[in-house]
Amino acid sequence: MKRTLTAAVILTAASLSPALAEEKVTIEFAYPYSHLFDVTYEKILPKFNAQYPHIEVVMRATYESYEDGTNTILREAVSGDLPDVTMQGLNRQAILVEKGIAKSLEPYIAKEADFEKDGYHAAMLELGTFNERVHGLPFSVSLPVGYYNMDLMSQAGITEMPRTWDEVVATCKSLRAAGVNNPIFWGWNITGNWFLQALMWSQGAPTMKEGAFNVAADEGLTSLETMHTIFRECDMQNLEWKEALASFSAGQVAMMFWSTSALGAVERSQGDFTLKTGPFPGIGGTPQGLPAGGNSAMLVSTSEDPKELEAAWLWLKFITSGEGAADVARTTGYMPPNKAANEIILADFYKNNPNKQTAVDQLPLLREWQAYPGDNGLAITQVIYDGIESIVVGESDDMQELQEELVEEVEDLLPTKGS
Amino acid sequence: MAPRSTGYWFTAPALTLMAIILLLPVLIAAGLSFTDYSLGNQSANWVGAENYEKIVSRSTYQKMFTASIIYVLVVVPVSVVLGLGAALLINSLSFGGDLYKTIFFLPVMAALLAMAIVWEFALHNSVGIVNEMFQAGCGTIIEWVFNWGWIPFVDGSQTWYGRNCASQEFPLWLRDRNYALATICFIGIWQAFGFNMVLYLAGLTSIPRELLQAAEMDGAKSAWERFRLVIWPMLGPTTVFVVTITSIRSFQVFDTIEALTQGGPSKSTYVMMYAIYEKAIQQNLMGIGAAITIVFLGFVLVITFMQRYLVERRVHYS
Repeated sequence: MKRTLTAAVILTAASLSPALAEEKVTIEFAYPYSHLFDVTYEKILPKFNAQYPHIEVVMRATYESYEDGTNTILREAVSGDLPDVTMQGLNRQAILVEKGIAKSLEPYIAKEADFEKDGYHAAMLELGTFNERVHGLPFSVSLPVGYYNMDLMSQAGITEMPRTWDEVVATCKSLRAAGVNNPIFWGWNITGNWFLQALMWSQGAPTMKEGAFNVAADEGLTSLETMHTIFRECDMQNLEWKEALASFSAGQVAMMFWSTSALGAVERSQGDFTLKTGPFPGIGGTPQGLPAGGNSAMLVSTSEDPKELEAAWLWLKFITSGEGAADVARTTGYMPPNKAANEIILADFYKNNPNKQTAVDQLPLLREWQAYPGDNGLAITQVIYDGIESIVVGESDDMQELQEELVEEVEDLLPTKGS
Repeated sequence: MAPRSTGYWFTAPALTLMAIILLLPVLIAAGLSFTDYSLGNQSANWVGAENYEKIVSRSTYQKMFTASIIYVLVVVPVSVVLGLGAALLINSLSFGGDLYKTIFFLPVMAALLAMAIVWEFALHNSVGIVNEMFQAGCGTIIEWVFNWGWIPFVDGSQTWYGRNCASQEFPLWLRDRNYALATICFIGIWQAFGFNMVLYLAGLTSIPRELLQAAEMDGAKSAWERFRLVIWPMLGPTTVFVVTITSIRSFQVFDTIEALTQGGPSKSTYVMMYAIYEKAIQQNLMGIGAAITIVFLGFVLVITFMQRYLVERRVHYS
């Protein structure tokens, strides 16, 4: 973050002289997950400054997570201190639209001559469309994948990547037998109950169905049972996710199931072993769907100045299209949700980076990362998190009971229908 | 202006400030606790005692009370006894006392949040010094001593250290439900006892030498008797103060939880302060957050009054 700021300052200083003729416009910008995105914005910012020397982008302190990001914006809306552009988790856009904090982007899109040509196509815009109006432009999209330490895997004589969770459990056992103490990390604690939603979509079922909590269905029980089997049979350690990523990078964990987004960060800190990614295993077969992770750019500016709004839109457009979007793929494991960036600029990139290709192959499975409606959205996320944690730490063993408890508590927090 | 009311005019600025800064926020919180106000909303609904009902009935909040109360019940007595012990030992030194004072007081001076990060590294499962130390001790004389196998009728391979050495796996101190709260308590004691020690040292200096000498002449020959008959009663006021302050500070524990466990695993370290933070700040649910705050205030008030009236009665003020 500090480096980004310094870079911003130096670049603005450098570009000051030709810009003197034009009035300088300053916009404020905030994004989450500095360990993933610092490098990305460090690459994008100089390119943007070169193209628009009269716009200065001021980076605010990064959000720790998507939850933190949404919260910060809600607080800033109350205190009247909003940035101009913010990056929000795909599952947290709805609440900002509901509360009228995020502005519709339609007026700006209408002014663009060749918006389609810039690579924004219907399926991707869908992720940020509410009430048939585009409010967020997706910036980075991720899918869950498997990370494998092939050195440890071959120690146990395994060369094939597991395709189902049963195979994963079998692999765990061979790994343990071969003396690997820490065979697996399964990312249950990832933001927004993403992995629960992944198991639900794997069976073709949404987590929220017509405003009701769908874990009550049979697929919900299967999801919980699957987690229970993985955690117990593999005897998985309860690691905090940052610890887990560090342990995997250090070569201590054999299999890690996590978002493809961390690939850039893992590769940068990777120890001396062969890392391969593989498709996300399914329940009994290939998954029928997987939730789209990632974040999108939203305009939350309270400014009345058309120049400032225009500058915010230019920045927002720049990072989600063309070279800006391509840098997302280059520096992280995310995929740019932009056709032009994906197919033209990055054509050779994926051939040279087969590990990043895995998620791209899974793109047809892309489903919505669902939000929990109402004021209690964040509290519901926490309730489900606590529920899954109780499996991990060995507190819950009866999955039917846990399912009933979760459904009861979540239904209680959801807005009552009709109100 | 009538002379009678002049006094009120003089105290008015202080009273107004007190009302605005101290009482008003509490009243606002109390009011909010009966609503479902969520940050960013235009309005809020009056929900009556629903928030309080949740605090009483939900298992999450029962875990919250359990964690808070265990933390206080462990940290207060241990840190008070350790503080007193350290103070007595240092007081009996003829030289070098200042060095010990400084060392024991270091954790109090250092910001707990910064120290929490140091602890996080020390307790890390793979690179942490704590588990590495335990591991290095396995198979050496250290294991032999600390698996207690040398005590008659104790099977060394079945004790905690023996079992962990055999499986070569040491606990994840902060991620294991059975250890997390104990670990947090340990850090709390480590931090608090230096403070208590300083308070006790101050208390000890105020004991007149003549009293001790008189006691010795009257036949209190052993150090224990002098402690029991003179020092401990004379330290009564200090003890009341130390216990009250430590209890309130322990109830307010937050930084270690936020930095190390975030209330987990499985809510085993979900203390009240953290619950307030999670509900009101992280999840924007001001209503329930305010309700927990009011309950929290109630607890602290009860402790304060209890100590004033129960303990003070048996304290000898000179």
